[in-house]
Amino acid sequence: MEKSNEEKQLRPGLWATVNERYPGSMITKTDFIPLAKLIKPLAESRLSFVSTSGVQLRGTLPFDTAHPIGDYTFRAVPSNSKTSDLEIHQLKYPTAGAERDLNVIYPIERMQELAAEKIIGELAPNFYSFIGYNMDAERLERTLAETIADAVEAEKPDVVLLAPA
Amino acid sequence: MQRVIEKRGIPTVSVSVALDVTLHIKPPRAVFLPFMMGHLFGVPFHKNLQREIILTALSRIEQAKQSGDVYFFPKTWAQARKEGKEVESNLEAAD
Repeated sequence: MEKSNEEKQLRPGLWATVNERYPGSMITKTDFIPLAKLIKPLAESRLSFVSTSGVQLRGTLPFDTAHPIGDYTFRAVPSNSKTSDLEIHQLKYPTAGAERDLNVIYPIERMQELAAEKIIGELAPNFYSFIGYNMDAERLERTLAETIADAVEAEKPDVVLLAPA
Repeated sequence: MQRVIEKRGIPTVSVSVALDVTLHIKPPRAVFLPFMMGHLFGVPFHKNLQREIILTALSRIEQAKQSGDVYFFPKTWAQARKEGKEVESNLEAAD
């Protein structure tokens, strides 16, 4: 990585640091995925959201944040949820901001507002959440990524925003 | 994750605070913010910034010309925090 990029990142060297401690846990790709095309304006598009924040509805089975190789499950979070209905089960990022305002990591209220204002056409019925602490990258790609993609795709979004916490 | 969804024909964009990880993973489109981990959409109660980050990301769906596009969000963490403090002091003043 160029030094100029290294300096731009608040916590530099993350990939190398984690991969050194947990060899093989960090993904590297050499190819690029061809861009899919947006077929209608954003104001008519259905938006889905996928997050590694570990945000979930209160009362659903908490993510297993203590498992040494991670939790390979996900939770559907209704896109009309109130922030007071949600909680975070995740250990691997600072939640100082999110504890005061969940929107800093899971901006569900802002997306609800954008849909209400018709800047975005509508929100998909559910958003999707899992935890980013997954040490088996191959398993993550083979199972969890495909399963979440199935769930996302079934709700026919036109655009998907992703937020790796 | 993002690559899997894009492969299915749905345009995607991600926000990232870890540029090195993003460059390794090569998502189709990303917005990099030099912010603290866990604060991808800025700081508490700064609704305008949270909204701007979402809209900037979504705009990349229309504007990115090639896969692997990384847009650098033009605000530092120090600026975001300073603005957040102003927002909060205004909220307190309004109470």
